[in-house]
Amino acid sequence: MVKAVIMPKLGQSEETVKIVRWRKQLGETIAKGDIIFEIETDKAVLEVESFYTGTLLKIVAGEGETVPVQTTVAFVGDPGEPVPDVALAPVAPKKAEASRPAPAAQVGTQIERKAAPAPTAAAASAATPTAVEPQLFRISPRAAKLAKESVIDPTPIVGTGPSGRIVERDVKQFLEAKGYSRIRITPTAKNLAAAKGINLLSLAPKEDGSQIGVADIERLLAERPKPLSRMRQIIAQRLTESYTHAPHFFVTVSADVTELESLRAERKAQGTPYTLTDFIVKAAALALEQFPTVNGTSDGQSVRMRNQIHLGLAVALEQGLVVPVIRRANELTLAEIHTRAQELTVKARASQLTPAEMTGSTFTISNLGMMDVENFTAIINPGESAILAVASGSKQPVVKNDQVVIRTMMKMTLSSDHRLIDGALAARFLNSIRKSLEEKSLWQRLT
Amino acid sequence: MAAFDIVVIGAGPGGYPAAIRAAQLGASVALVEKEEMGGTCLNWGCIPTKTLIASSELLAKIKTASAMGLRVENASFDYAAMADRKDQIVQKLRNGIKQLLKANGVTVFQGSASFQTRNRIQVEPSVAPGFSPAHAALKDGATPEPVVLTAGKTIICTGAASAMPGFLPRHERVVESRAFLNLRALPATVLVLGGGIIGCEFACMLAQLDVKVTMVELLEDIITVIDADVRRELRRHMEKSLGIRILTGVTLEEITADDKGVRGRAGQEKLEADLLLVALGRKPVTSSLKLENAGLTPNERGFLDVDAYGRTSVATVYAVGDVTGGPLLAHAATAQGLVAAENACGQYKHKNETLVPNCIFTTPEIGTVGLGEQEAQQQGRKIKTGKYPFSALGKALAIGEPIGFVKWVADAETDQLLGAHAVGPHATDIIAEAAVAIRSELTAADLAHTIHAHPTLAESWMEAAHVLMGEPIHSAPPRKST
Repeated sequence: MVKAVIMPKLGQSEETVKIVRWRKQLGETIAKGDIIFEIETDKAVLEVESFYTGTLLKIVAGEGETVPVQTTVAFVGDPGEPVPDVALAPVAPKKAEASRPAPAAQVGTQIERKAAPAPTAAAASAATPTAVEPQLFRISPRAAKLAKESVIDPTPIVGTGPSGRIVERDVKQFLEAKGYSRIRITPTAKNLAAAKGINLLSLAPKEDGSQIGVADIERLLAERPKPLSRMRQIIAQRLTESYTHAPHFFVTVSADVTELESLRAERKAQGTPYTLTDFIVKAAALALEQFPTVNGTSDGQSVRMRNQIHLGLAVALEQGLVVPVIRRANELTLAEIHTRAQELTVKARASQLTPAEMTGSTFTISNLGMMDVENFTAIINPGESAILAVASGSKQPVVKNDQVVIRTMMKMTLSSDHRLIDGALAARFLNSIRKSLEEKSLWQRLT
Repeated sequence: MAAFDIVVIGAGPGGYPAAIRAAQLGASVALVEKEEMGGTCLNWGCIPTKTLIASSELLAKIKTASAMGLRVENASFDYAAMADRKDQIVQKLRNGIKQLLKANGVTVFQGSASFQTRNRIQVEPSVAPGFSPAHAALKDGATPEPVVLTAGKTIICTGAASAMPGFLPRHERVVESRAFLNLRALPATVLVLGGGIIGCEFACMLAQLDVKVTMVELLEDIITVIDADVRRELRRHMEKSLGIRILTGVTLEEITADDKGVRGRAGQEKLEADLLLVALGRKPVTSSLKLENAGLTPNERGFLDVDAYGRTSVATVYAVGDVTGGPLLAHAATAQGLVAAENACGQYKHKNETLVPNCIFTTPEIGTVGLGEQEAQQQGRKIKTGKYPFSALGKALAIGEPIGFVKWVADAETDQLLGAHAVGPHATDIIAEAAVAIRSELTAADLAHTIHAHPTLAESWMEAAHVLMGEPIHSAPPRKST
């Protein structure tokens, strides 16, 4: 029996989802629980498992297509079974079309009889930003052929033929006026430019007067703007919004983690490993209980306090950054924090976080301790009022009781939204975290 | 203490052109050479071997001349006379270099150079055969003593020498290429260890001089760096026409040498010969330079790393040629030498050319430039190839050498010529056209539309380009796919 594969609803906010990659091919056998395709949401790339066992009979939504949630994207059944004729839901085609090759006929019906590799719409528009309404563009076949052979964009040419039609002499005059004959380019580079829709007139001559070569065209192609991944677009949008709307200010302290590190080593030897992040999460949760304003959020008109503490942990991935959330961190023991943080980090690295696991944080910690940095500042996660940037611990000469001693010091910088938090509050909050981290007896109790 | 703008260490095909170019650009130039002008290429490489090969190939042609309607009876050779001719030609070319250096105002120091600091170079006098024992720069009669040169910039061109791994017995019957060239008589049987370019060139020459040759190569095939089609064609001729026994994929073990001969074991088989010719690659010559005093460290293979402009990791020191690794070819060293000299003089800033043709003087000859078919595929490129056999070419038939082929490798999308491979008559000469075409980024269509004179061997490139484009004139059209 044929079963429809439905795009799952992932969270409150997701209306449409983009299919990034099909992990199963048409005709391939699928077992229940197999990863069948990958999707991209606002926050991450996720894998979708199959509910059914059978053969993949039809793919309705291909790679790169965006579909509404809870619509059919594929069919699974026995080999040879008839599949219902379902078209892709209407939201999809709009986006998909942009990446298809532009039909040559659009430019003008009389242009080309013999097909040539048509430049993609995206490529053509990148090279020739002055695209003209197709209906208004009139050009004779001979003129079009000359323009094509010259690998130039004919659209800026002013036509002198009937009804302003571009004729061959217009192209010739245009080439002469633009100094076309002075362009020095190798035959292969010219071929490549033609294939990729690059206008030769747009190429700058080489500084040393040598010929434009394949490497120059390839560099141009490589440097063309390409759309960012969905994840990067989201990061860009959210952090730009935060950094331009929330007036950031920064307060830095240096915490002495010598004792904490030795305790951590001790516990590890005893078989209960903790990460430094675990302690910082706990210390931050304690400080947020003490200073609830830092756990609130403001738009400059009103303030929203939140009586639950959900801590976001920034996790670096190859393709970007995700912030999984440890919910109600203040109610968890250190061991529970450790387990939860490990789970979320592993899932984040495997792109398996659900949207629910990535939303709702009230405060965020960004730890670059492993990256050997002296200090850094972070940008506040939208919807929050502060973020803690944790740098690397390192041995430093420190004055203690008028003696210079070697201690492991770790700098932490709090970025705060000045609309809600003032300097004194930031300082008190941050020092509360520092004091917790330096208080060995606290951790001896909690571990 | 003598001060120079540029000190060039090594007067091989990298060093002496660098010295001349730097002098032409107005620099005061010292050239230090511990042995002979011309380096490996002129004295123990390209020139002497090609001289001997010219004799051996002519003899082979004479022996088969009856096929061309000639009657030459009792053709034979005198190896000592061949070797004399070789020495005369080498001497003539060495003198030519000396005159060129003199005419360009380069000061030559005969000795072994070592760094004291990055810009102070000590020259320990050496006495080379055929040279006056004094420094060329010193007055006649002066006692040779170490001199110290101060150098604005230094160009290291010390080259490479044959590798002689420790497992080989030290005996006069175990020779590498340089020692072989000093022989005045040929052995009856030779065991060639190593199926690389040098091993194959010697094997072909010896086989044509009636020496029984057995070659042992550790890798799965001979000259694995070249296109597989070309390799296959060469190996077939070496085995079938020249009677060379080629054992690949085996090591030569239990090697011993005494006054009666050399012996070894390849797999289960015991091998024996009068002489063992070792051709196991080349290693850079740097040990006497005291590089550490200049702050230079060779890479893990012993070569000096340089950037695209020929610069080492020390700002004032350049290096070119074999000592930098790379293709180990005289013409590459010369090109790099000129680039380094011009960059060191600061008047231009050039990068080293990366397209280097490779010529192999086996029988048949091989010329290759650019990407091989397998190499291009490994890079993930989509390619087209076009091959044209000399057996279909009028000129090749006319000169009685209808063997081998030429082959183009081109990019399937842009039609760009990426590689050219020739095996057959005068392959080393006709590769020049292909190098020009590839460097100029010509397409297969450009090449096919270029009129090539008839009847010539170079026409084969045009025919092969037609084949690549699927429109051959002088060979069967490609089968239509159904």
